[in-house]
Amino acid sequence: MIHVENLVKTYDDLKRGRFVAVDHVSFHVAPGEIFGLLGPNGAGKTTVLRILSTVLRPTSGTARIHGFDVDEEPAEVRGRIGFVSNNTALYDRMTAWETVQYFGRLHGMTSEALDARLEELFDQLRMNDFRDVPAAKMSTGMKQKVSIARALVHDPPVLIFDEATLGLDVMVARNLLQVVRNLREAGKCLIFSTHIMREVERLCDRIAIMHRGKILDTGTLEALRERHDEHDFEDLFFGLLSRHEHSPNDFSETTS
Amino acid sequence: MSRSETDRPRPKTVAMIYLREMRDQLRDRRTLFTIVVLPMLLYPLVGTLLLQIAQFTQQHAPRICIIGTENLPAEPALVVEDQLAGDYDEAQGNAKFDFYEWRQMSRDAAVSEVARRFVQRETYDAVLLVPPDFTLQSSDSENKQPVNSLHLVTNPGSDGAAVATDRIYTVLGTYRDTIVSRRLLKSGIAQEVLTPFSVKKSATDSEGGNAMLWSKLLPFVMLVWAMTGAFYPAIDLVAGEKERGTLETLLCSPALRSEIVWGKLAAVTTFSTLTALLNVFSMMITSTLIFKQIGLDPTGGSFGPPPVASLLWLLLALLPLSALFSALALAVAAMARSSKEGQYYLMPLMMVSLPLVLLPMMPGMDLSMGTALIPVSGMFLLVRALVEAQYLQALMHLPLVVGVTFGCLWLATRWAQRQFEDESVLFGDGDQWELRSWVRHLWRDRQAVPTPAQAFGCGAVILVGLFFGKLMVSGMPSDLAGLTRLILTPQIGLILAPALLMAIVMTTSLRQTFRFRMPALPALPIALLLGFTLHPSYMTLGQWISDVYPISEQTQAALQPMSDLIATAPLWHIVLLLALVPAVCEELAFRGFIFSGLIRGGGRMRAVVVSAIMFGVSHGLLQQSIAATVMGLMLGWVALRTGSVIPCLIIHFTNNALSVTLSKIPEMGITGSELLVATAADGSAMYQPIWVLMASGLALTCLAYFYTLQSNEDAEVAEAEIGEPYPSDPGLQPVA
Repeated sequence: MIHVENLVKTYDDLKRGRFVAVDHVSFHVAPGEIFGLLGPNGAGKTTVLRILSTVLRPTSGTARIHGFDVDEEPAEVRGRIGFVSNNTALYDRMTAWETVQYFGRLHGMTSEALDARLEELFDQLRMNDFRDVPAAKMSTGMKQKVSIARALVHDPPVLIFDEATLGLDVMVARNLLQVVRNLREAGKCLIFSTHIMREVERLCDRIAIMHRGKILDTGTLEALRERHDEHDFEDLFFGLLSRHEHSPNDFSETTS
Repeated sequence: MSRSETDRPRPKTVAMIYLREMRDQLRDRRTLFTIVVLPMLLYPLVGTLLLQIAQFTQQHAPRICIIGTENLPAEPALVVEDQLAGDYDEAQGNAKFDFYEWRQMSRDAAVSEVARRFVQRETYDAVLLVPPDFTLQSSDSENKQPVNSLHLVTNPGSDGAAVATDRIYTVLGTYRDTIVSRRLLKSGIAQEVLTPFSVKKSATDSEGGNAMLWSKLLPFVMLVWAMTGAFYPAIDLVAGEKERGTLETLLCSPALRSEIVWGKLAAVTTFSTLTALLNVFSMMITSTLIFKQIGLDPTGGSFGPPPVASLLWLLLALLPLSALFSALALAVAAMARSSKEGQYYLMPLMMVSLPLVLLPMMPGMDLSMGTALIPVSGMFLLVRALVEAQYLQALMHLPLVVGVTFGCLWLATRWAQRQFEDESVLFGDGDQWELRSWVRHLWRDRQAVPTPAQAFGCGAVILVGLFFGKLMVSGMPSDLAGLTRLILTPQIGLILAPALLMAIVMTTSLRQTFRFRMPALPALPIALLLGFTLHPSYMTLGQWISDVYPISEQTQAALQPMSDLIATAPLWHIVLLLALVPAVCEELAFRGFIFSGLIRGGGRMRAVVVSAIMFGVSHGLLQQSIAATVMGLMLGWVALRTGSVIPCLIIHFTNNALSVTLSKIPEMGITGSELLVATAADGSAMYQPIWVLMASGLALTCLAYFYTLQSNEDAEVAEAEIGEPYPSDPGLQPVA
C-alpha cells in the first residue's frame, strides 16, 4: 500500500550547509497495519510524511501510495490519503460542519454522498454537539476531532498521523488512539509518527526508529526486542540512538 | 515536468476555493470594517471636518486698517463717516475696515512703525498708509514730484494677509476706476475707450468639464484604493494562513497549487475592486454634497457627479489593474512567514507601484506610443482618453495597452504560482538569520555557478553602483584621457568587478559561471555576421525610439562634447574603448554571471528576460535603455541557444564597433562601402535603405541558424532544482 524506497531529502540550510533531512529511507506498510515512525524531534519524521502527502518533493528515491508515485501523480496520491498533523490547523471562521464539507467538496464528492458521509462521520466521532461552532471557539479535543473528520471525509485507504497526539490532553489522546485502532480494524493502511514511546508500544504493529534522517532499525516490537536483546523498549530506543551517535557507520551497515 | 503538466486548474475547484476565501473574509470583522464600513464613514467624517474648516475660513473676516484718511482726496470720496462709501460695498465683501487719521497716529511714533506693529501683533491683517502729501497724479499736475503711491503693510507669515491684500486691491481698483471714469467724463471722452473689448468667460458644457476633472482624479483614487484593498486580504490569505497553519491543510488536499493560487487571486481581486469602488462611490457622494453646500469649487468648473460613461470605462479598466495588483501582492505575501512580515514586504511593493499611478497625473502626460507601453500608467491614460471622448486615440493604443497590462498580469500570476510551488517559500523555517553563519554558508556551500538569488544580487549591486557612479560624475570630459576614464571606470569598476568578485567568492568554477564554453564552431563566424547584419535594424530601432521618446535638447547639448571627442579621437582607441571594453565587461556580467544564475531551477525564460532588463537599465539614458533591452533579449536568446557567452561577446562587439565607426566609413574610402553606407545631408552617415532590408534578411537567417542549436548543458541546469548539486559538478554528485 505504501512503498518507500531510498527516499532522500536535502535542504540548503544556513547553519548546517547542505543538510540531509531524510537519508535513504525505505519502508513499506500493508493495509490493516499501523506503522509507527518513532524518533526524537528533528529526526526527519515530518519530512518523510510531508513527502508522502506530496507537500514536499523528494530529492531522490521513490514513494508510492496505492500504486501512485508521489512525485509524478501527486493529485492521485492526495485523493487517496488523509493527513492529520498538529501542523494542519483549522480555519477559525468556519464551523465544524463547513470545514469537513469543504474538504469533502475539494475531493470531488457529490452533494448527496457528502451529506450522508458527513452525518455518518459526525455520529461516529460524536461531533454533533459542536456542528455549528466555529473553530475559533472549539476546545483542542474538538479541533482534533474535526481534523480527523476532515482527513476521513473521502474515506481514503491510507491515513497519515504526524505527531497527532502532540499537545492533546490525556483523554483526547486516548480517544484518538482508539480512533486509529478502529481505522486499522476497517482495513486502512496507517502511518503514525510520534516521539512518545508508550503510544508506539500500545498501538503499532511495526516500528521504524528514526534518527538524523536515517532509519536505524525497523520491525515488530518483539523482533526489535529480540534483535537488540533488550526487553525495556525505552532502553532499547536510547541504546540505539547513542550507539548511532558514536559510530554512525556501523549502523548504516547493520540496517542495510 | 510531469507535475506541472497535470497542473491545469479546474474551474469548479477554483470556484470552491474562491467562495470559501470570500466567506472567510466576509466573516472577519476587521476586513469588513476596512473595506465596507471605513469608506462609508471616512468620507462623510472628512467631509464634516472640511465643512467646519470652510465655515471657519468664511467667518474669519480680514481686518484692514487705513491710516491717513484725511489725506485722501475729498472727491471722489472713499471714506464717508468712518465707513467705506456705499459704492464699495461689493468690493469690501466681508472685510472689516478701521480708519485712523495720520496725525492721530504720528503722535507717539513714526506711522510706519505703528503699522508694522499692527500687522505683527495681528491686530490687523493689512494696514494701508496714505501719506500726508498724497495727491492724485494728473497730466496737468503742477507739482513736479507728487507723492502718489499708497503704502501697504502686511505680514506675509500671517494667514489672513493674502485675503486682506486681495480685498484691499479690489477696493482700491474700484476706487481708481471711479477716478479715471470721472476724469474721462470731464474731458469729454467716452468711458468705453478704456475697455475696447471685454472677455466673457464661458466653459464648455459642464459635462465635459466634469469629465476632465474626474478623468484625472477618479482613476488615481481608485487605483490607490485598489492597491490598498489588495494588500490586506493578500497578507491574510497567504502569510496569515501560513502563520495559522491552515495553508498546509489546504496543500495536502486534492486542490492543485494552481487552483489555490487562482482561487485566492480571485478573492483578493474581488476585495481590491470592491474597496476601490466603495471608496470612490463614497468619496463622490460626499464631495458632491459638500461642494454644493459650501459653494466652493476648486476646479473652476462644476463639481458634479461624473458622467456615467466615464464610470463604466473606469470599471472596465479597474478589473485588470486590480487583478495585477492582487497577483503582485499575493506573490510578495507568499514570501512572508507571518502577517507582520507580510506587511514589511508589501511596503516596498507600494513604493514601486505608486509612481506608476502618479505618473499619469503629471501635467502634459498623454496617451502615446511611449506612455502606452508603461504598465498601469498606460491603462490609466487610456481610460482618460476614453472619458474625454478621444475614441480614435484610445482605439489606436488599445492593443498596446491591453497587451502590456495582460502581459504583466500573466507574469505576476506566474510569479505568484511559482511562490506556491517553492518549498523553501512555503515551509522555510523561521531560523534566526545571522550574519556570520550566512557568510560561512556562502563560502562553505559554494556551487559551481551562482544561485538565482546571487544573480539577482549581482544585478542589484551593478545597478546601484552605476546609479551612484553616475551621480559622482561632475562634468563631461574635455580630453581623450578623461573620456577613457569616464568609460573604463564604470565598465571595469562597477560592472565587471562586482561580477568577477562575486564569482571568485561565491562559486567554484569561473568558466561555468561566466559561461565560457566553446559553442558549435560555425556559431562564431555566424555571430560575427549577425552582429554585422543586425546593426542596420538596430540603428532603425534606435531612430524609432528617439522619435517616440525624443531626447531632450538639454541632454543632447550635455552629450555634445562627448560626441565631438569621439569624432576626433583615433579610430583604434574608440573601437577599443567603446566596443571591446563594454562588450567584454557587460557580456561577462549580464550574459555570464547573472545569466548562469538565473537559468537554474527552470528559469530559462527568466534568465533571458531579467538579464535583458538589467542590461537595459544599466544604460543610463532612457532611449539607450530601451534599445539595449531589446538587444539584451536577442543576446540572451543567443546565449540560451549556444550555451555560451562567446557568440554574445562577438555580436555585442560588432554592433558597438559599427555604431562608433559608421560615420567614419565613408571617409575611409573603402571601395564598395558606398553601396552600404551613405552620407546624409547633415553629414551623418546612414545605411542605404536597400542594405537595411537585405541585412535584416541575412540577420534573420543567422537567427534561424541559432534556433537550430540546443545547449544540452543548459537544459540540464534549467531542469535541475536549485538545491540539487549542479549537474556537471563532480564535487557535489549525490553519493550513490
